[in-house]
Amino acid sequence: MTETKIFAARKIVTMDANQPEATHVAVRDGRILAVGAHADVSGWTDAAVDDRFADKVLMPGFVEGHCHLMAGGMWRFLYVGFQDRVDPDGKHWQGVGTIEAVLDRMKTADAELPEDEPLVAWGFDPIFLMDRRPDKRDFDTVSATRPIAVMHSNFHLMTVNSAALKLANYTADLDVDGIARDADGEPNGELQEVAAMFPVMRRLGIDFRALGRSPAGVTAFGQVCKRAGVTTAADLINDLPDEDVDELLRITARDDYPIRLASMLNAMTQTAVETGERALALQERSTDKLILGGVKIVTDGSIQGFTARLRWPGYYNGASNGIWNVAPEQLNGIVAELLSKGVPMHIHVNGDEAIAVAIDAVEAGLRRHAAPDHRTVLQHCQMADRAQFEKMKALGLCVNLFANHIFYFGDQHAALTIGPDRARRMDACRTALDLGVPMTIHSDAPVTPLGPLTTAWAAVNRLTASGRVLGEAERISVPEALHAITLGAAYSLHMDDRVGSVEVGKFADFTVLDDDPLGVDAGALRDIPVWGTVLGGDVHPV
Amino acid sequence: MPQATAPLPLTVISGYLGAGKTTLVNHLLRHAAGRRLMVLVNDFGDLPIDADLIEREDGDMLTLANGCVCCSMGGDFYNALVDVLDMPERPDHLVIEASGVARPARIANIARAEPDLALDGVVTLVDAENVAAQLADDLVADSVTDQIAAADLLLVSKADLVSPHDLAALKDRLNAINPAPPVMTCISGAVPVDAVLGGIAPSQDAKPSPPHDHEHEEAYARWSHETSAPFDSDKLQQALTAFPDTVLRVKGIVFVTGRHGPLAIHRVGRRITIADAPSSTDRTSRLVAIGHRSGFDPALLTRLVDGALATPGPQRPDSTQDKPPS
Repeated sequence: MTETKIFAARKIVTMDANQPEATHVAVRDGRILAVGAHADVSGWTDAAVDDRFADKVLMPGFVEGHCHLMAGGMWRFLYVGFQDRVDPDGKHWQGVGTIEAVLDRMKTADAELPEDEPLVAWGFDPIFLMDRRPDKRDFDTVSATRPIAVMHSNFHLMTVNSAALKLANYTADLDVDGIARDADGEPNGELQEVAAMFPVMRRLGIDFRALGRSPAGVTAFGQVCKRAGVTTAADLINDLPDEDVDELLRITARDDYPIRLASMLNAMTQTAVETGERALALQERSTDKLILGGVKIVTDGSIQGFTARLRWPGYYNGASNGIWNVAPEQLNGIVAELLSKGVPMHIHVNGDEAIAVAIDAVEAGLRRHAAPDHRTVLQHCQMADRAQFEKMKALGLCVNLFANHIFYFGDQHAALTIGPDRARRMDACRTALDLGVPMTIHSDAPVTPLGPLTTAWAAVNRLTASGRVLGEAERISVPEALHAITLGAAYSLHMDDRVGSVEVGKFADFTVLDDDPLGVDAGALRDIPVWGTVLGGDVHPV
Repeated sequence: MPQATAPLPLTVISGYLGAGKTTLVNHLLRHAAGRRLMVLVNDFGDLPIDADLIEREDGDMLTLANGCVCCSMGGDFYNALVDVLDMPERPDHLVIEASGVARPARIANIARAEPDLALDGVVTLVDAENVAAQLADDLVADSVTDQIAAADLLLVSKADLVSPHDLAALKDRLNAINPAPPVMTCISGAVPVDAVLGGIAPSQDAKPSPPHDHEHEEAYARWSHETSAPFDSDKLQQALTAFPDTVLRVKGIVFVTGRHGPLAIHRVGRRITIADAPSSTDRTSRLVAIGHRSGFDPALLTRLVDGALATPGPQRPDSTQDKPPS
């Protein structure tokens, strides 16, 4: 069926240099037929003009280049974070700023929960609750009988109540790293890192991977994206067994599924040769709405968890260096093999030592195999210095910087993890652009909330949660930030031929905004309401 | 969901790339001697299992004719662990082959925290030929050091590729990083399975040791001991602590004064654990040990253990023997 539509808007920000602004876009078969003024599009069609967006601003559909499907399923649990968030159903959850507010929210949830279910909460961030660090006694006031687990926002810690401690048989004489204790030597309810959390998570049935795999979780993820104006999202690690691919194909094919989903194969659970073959086979199964064939490699850990690999002089607080998830020499083998097969790679690197190792691996691989237009993306890449960006440019690498970190963790980075000077040059968007490294920015949701306008705001303003500017010299302009969350991200996914700008031939994917991001104050970028999206010409209001 | 059964013993096999973890896993699977081992590996694509030993291959799981299972962990180690613990019929012993850069202490910590697991030990393989280069490489030196530091037993592989002088120097270097664990050497993963894996305490109906490969058995000696007199638990712990470093592992089911039920005792390297054991009508305490033949003194072990009886004195040992290599 060939249906042609014309959408008129107050303004269309196209991200196409040939025609930066427009008012009308014609759509046929889900693709952009023409864009410009009414006269530019009416020659193609006599379709009536749909003017429901007459007071709205259209942008190319936002592209989130690094997040996780889990960002949808998390909402099965109770949100108790400090920042406001919107759930998949559109409910606005106000951030909770005091221990009392956290406990009140949990008491309300407790009253509504069936008796035999545990109460699981997430997003908890005690550093913002200034007065003191809550422990089991606080959560015992919510329930003395129901097991309660409160996951912290960094996912590395949880605080549980006495009923949960009992379930896992945690007693004073248990000598386990990560079980925090009170003055009497009794476990105080705070569990640090997976080993200590594992027995509780197992007994309460908390399974993050399942949250990303379940049909309900995948569906919720689509809703979370839509509400943030995202029409293409990259799920940045997935084992992608055949049964999951079948399910993803089924869900994404639905007309009401509002996004194109790119899912990256975990490259660390089989040999490099197997990974390459599997990625190429998955590529064959791609559709317009499920994009497969890229892979994810994780080198180091996180800076705030002190598991990132840092070069000299290391962590500001003297913590020992972080961990590798793959050995550097293994990385060399994987990268060379995948470059030779033309498999797109996304390499997680946080610390500058991990960045150096990844750059070296790509350079060595490129000496062995010509890999034209490989666009290998260094993901996070938070501590890269200028010399490393120069190497990236020379080697054809792209970078996806974790701009949200400036706001959410910037204060901690300056005070604790890497110190003020290196924190100022973190997530160096300005340097990347100045040196010509293809650049995008991301949320890593659910680590930070999904919301490209917020991520753009973070890169433009570089304000921390405490309200100070961290690294003024690395700020970028609003147009540059808007490019990063559209065409920049599309390029990093090898999808700039299909999405990322409002141009003839591309998918008719738009973000519908209540206001013009180029017209508001830079500090108000994140406050622009998202009206909804258009995907392949179909309108999806939030 | 958690079951009310005895905790599953977990042995962590660690070591940097090329140290021989896969070779050792293969050796354990072939010489499991009636134990149903479950081995979690990152990827069994590299595991050189003969086709005739494989009963079936089912996705991520490889079942061997001898009842052992090898399972690929896939993307999520913790999920794999949950799956093992939730199996309707758990294996006798769980072995995790850690990745070449994994920190084994973190895995061991799970076994300490999880009531359904019991830490059997961390065995770290060290590549005799390449470890010096690894310890000199800033990128990986801390990972390799961490693996050595976390070990209950150190196993130097490719021992035939270095001179005896270099091997002795290497042992000194390893013990400078971690003074506690005994250092064993091996070639092609050939070591006695009961030195690498503890876990199952000797029982009344224990079958005689299965035939071992002669070439590596000659280097090891065993000791076993039975007594019907109860021990004093503090003294027994002291006696076990006093066992010389030639002893690699000790395990036993013992009765102590002041308790009705038996205790399972377990010493790997220098780490001793004592836990409740399933009750038994037979009130005989049994202990076994394996160690390096060179300097292994069964009479000393017997003397130390006899001194830990609740009423020490001129006890006639019920039975003690130094088993000859079979």
